[in-house]
Amino acid sequence: MKRFVWRWLAISSLLAVALVAGAETRPQYGGTLRIAMREAPLSLDPADASQPDSFARRSVTLLLFDTLVSADEAGRPKAGLAESWQPRGNQSWQFHLRAGVKFHDGTPLTAELAAASLRTSNLSWNISAEADSLIIDGGPDLPAELALSRNAIVKRDPSGTLSGTGPFHIADWRPGKKLTLAAEENCWRGRPFLDAVEIEMNRSFRDQMTALELGRSDLVEIAPEQAQRMPQDKNRMARSSPIELLALLFARDASSPDDKILREALSLSVERGSIRSVLLQGAGQPAAGILPTWISGYGFVFSPDANLAKAKQLRSQVRSAPVWTLGYDGSDPGSRLLAERIALNAKDAGISVQPTGSSSSDLRLVRIPLASSDGWVALEDVRKHLGLPPVKGGSVEDLYAAEQALLGSQRLIPLLHLPVSYASSANLRNWSLRPDGTWNVADGWLATSRP
Amino acid sequence: MSASVYNLAIPNAIPKSVNCSHRLASPLLLFLFIFSFAILGLAPIARAADWNVTEQQLARKIAAVTGPGAVAIAIENRSSLGRRDGEAVQNGLRLALEQLGLRFVNPEQAAATVAISLSENPTAYVWVAEIRQSENESSVVMVSVPRSGGPTVAHDSMPISLRKTLLWSQDDPILDVAVLEESAAPSRIAVLDARSVSIYRMLNSKWQLEQALAIPHTVPWPRDLRGRLIPAKDHLLDAYLPGVVCRVPGGASIILNCRDADDPWPLISEGLIGSGGLTPAAAFFAPTRNFFSGVLTPALGKMAAAPKFYSAAALPRGKYMLWLFSSVDGQVHVVDGVRDQASSFNWGSDIATLKTSCGADWQVLATTAGDRATDSVRAYEFPDRDPVAVSTTADLPGAATAMWTEAKGDTAVAIVKDEETGSYEAFRLALACNQ
Repeated sequence: MKRFVWRWLAISSLLAVALVAGAETRPQYGGTLRIAMREAPLSLDPADASQPDSFARRSVTLLLFDTLVSADEAGRPKAGLAESWQPRGNQSWQFHLRAGVKFHDGTPLTAELAAASLRTSNLSWNISAEADSLIIDGGPDLPAELALSRNAIVKRDPSGTLSGTGPFHIADWRPGKKLTLAAEENCWRGRPFLDAVEIEMNRSFRDQMTALELGRSDLVEIAPEQAQRMPQDKNRMARSSPIELLALLFARDASSPDDKILREALSLSVERGSIRSVLLQGAGQPAAGILPTWISGYGFVFSPDANLAKAKQLRSQVRSAPVWTLGYDGSDPGSRLLAERIALNAKDAGISVQPTGSSSSDLRLVRIPLASSDGWVALEDVRKHLGLPPVKGGSVEDLYAAEQALLGSQRLIPLLHLPVSYASSANLRNWSLRPDGTWNVADGWLATSRP
Repeated sequence: MSASVYNLAIPNAIPKSVNCSHRLASPLLLFLFIFSFAILGLAPIARAADWNVTEQQLARKIAAVTGPGAVAIAIENRSSLGRRDGEAVQNGLRLALEQLGLRFVNPEQAAATVAISLSENPTAYVWVAEIRQSENESSVVMVSVPRSGGPTVAHDSMPISLRKTLLWSQDDPILDVAVLEESAAPSRIAVLDARSVSIYRMLNSKWQLEQALAIPHTVPWPRDLRGRLIPAKDHLLDAYLPGVVCRVPGGASIILNCRDADDPWPLISEGLIGSGGLTPAAAFFAPTRNFFSGVLTPALGKMAAAPKFYSAAALPRGKYMLWLFSSVDGQVHVVDGVRDQASSFNWGSDIATLKTSCGADWQVLATTAGDRATDSVRAYEFPDRDPVAVSTTADLPGAATAMWTEAKGDTAVAIVKDEETGSYEAFRLALACNQ
């Protein structure tokens, strides 16, 4: 791994010299951007819940499709396909669609098509179309929820063809392998600067870094533990605020009082600080809450400190404890190390945890990409993940109570909040990270290309 | 439309020397002293008053848990609140708690400990109180108050100084700003953005919106939208955008007449025409891109077209005109009507001609990509074909998104996206000689 970092430093220096040679500041048109990602989605439909959620999938979705509302740099809702919106009564919102927008297949965007799209992604929502506007039942966080990529507006043909209004359209799609996008000349936000985007899927972190080093990729993902050791070049490295929850997820609800006590003991036994400093090389923040402090404002009240004495004391209250199997992602060596470390901590407290690469286990080490920098939307998404009943409210105190209730279910033991990191080639300019951890290359451009 | 930030005029705070007796001066000085003390002293009070409601709310929530009595309190600022604000809030909270009957004591003597954290999330300050009344009894209460942003400044020094003055600031991207009327300072301006031409007048030291004129367009604007505002002699002004040309006739009721057109955009400011033999010149702008197509009218000597370029500057040279084109290939093309010499000056994409009374009279302002996300601007002269820096560098608070010569030709307007605030700011750039 060290060799990677040194090679990176050497190449960075050379590229930095090259960068000084051309200091153009205005975007150039043309070129093909090459992106690599670990995930390998088999469908591009944002409403397809069978595909695992990931930052990469969300990023790709937003190249093809637009949402009614998008999020600004502080995560606040701003106009997207909806130019304006206002509450109607206590429990519904009216969204006025932008005029003159067309899908990639040339069909004009209408309220009916937008409503049909949202009904597909949200079966329980009550949506109606009214002239150029949509009426949607929902609470105060509906605009923020509509900014989620899974709520992107898609025109679905009976043949299965998807059409969007985003800056790129599909040129070639080999599910799970490669996606090629072409610039949409008539995009309502203006034609993107790039001519095309090629996205290679199912690439390990290591393969992605090699591709970047060899000049075969322009934008790659970086493993959290690797990102800490990379040179922090603002133009070439981007790291989000901690937005991914690393947690232990139990397959079932606690079945007995003893089960609850053991789960609490397990949580208290995990040395999150050591996991962060040793296994993750200082990446992320130890967490005992679901939402990081930067999203909630109160995350620090959930203490992530290990308390082995209390863990042992709790364990001693239970006469016989089962051996729990702890599943981890077998394709990720880092995941195995984390699982083994947790098993070791648990053993110190007298709890037997058996790591396994198998998909069936009592609990599982999971990475949950938080859906939004809006606390309510992010928490609601985790709630759905756990299959727990919805919790409603408005104030920050209500949010805290809702989070406490989710933690009280003991289905989830938060471990760390991790940032997501990306590295880019020297000639990729003006790409950015959204607050929700997704990358945005719609305004990106390649410095070496020619119009 | 997002709320605009108004550029308040700075009042003359330093009075001229007072020619009067000490008998008169002393009461005046005393008054000034008391007045300034009152102003300075009241500032924190006014600031504290902003937090007052939230302080009371949190205090009530804490008191509801602890009841009146002895508590140990610790307050920590974990937010981006500055030290002064942080201290004001701490004092306010203590006062509010005392008014509710809480007494502050050491932890050993306390019936409860209260740890208050001044925290924040993306949209609000979140103040959290963790209250511990016994080993096993603890509770958390909290309140929130919406956050707002803050401003920035800059400076410089050398033989010719390049000075920047803030003309306008707003959240939406600015394409250009034109000063329509001014005496000592601009008193009427026009602001061009993607949606409208807005005309503002300075009234009582504040910019007041006179009229916002929507710009109709039938095709989507390109990304990195560009546009120009050009004040005219026989009417108020013209606006040039990709594929659209608008005219504001002026008169009592201001209207905007726009049409889809690929008319060439003027390259020479009105105030420069005739000076040094400069004649009007214009260039066609690619309607779906962010650059000029290179087609010029009239042609430059024997050259019918220049390379595709982002911006241009003209320098009179006695018998001919030297043109500089900041081209899309990242180079500056120096064109004299016969030869086209491409050079790398390490400049940004935006350049502008100035005619001043400094140095050799004619300068070119050029943006430079900074090492961070901020750009800078500097003035150059061209004794021959290579630039010589003649001014100090003016650091901009973010990336320059446009720079155009103003109508009179002796100043330019630079548009900057402020890195800290995210808002767009229009600065007037002017050279000050022998400073």
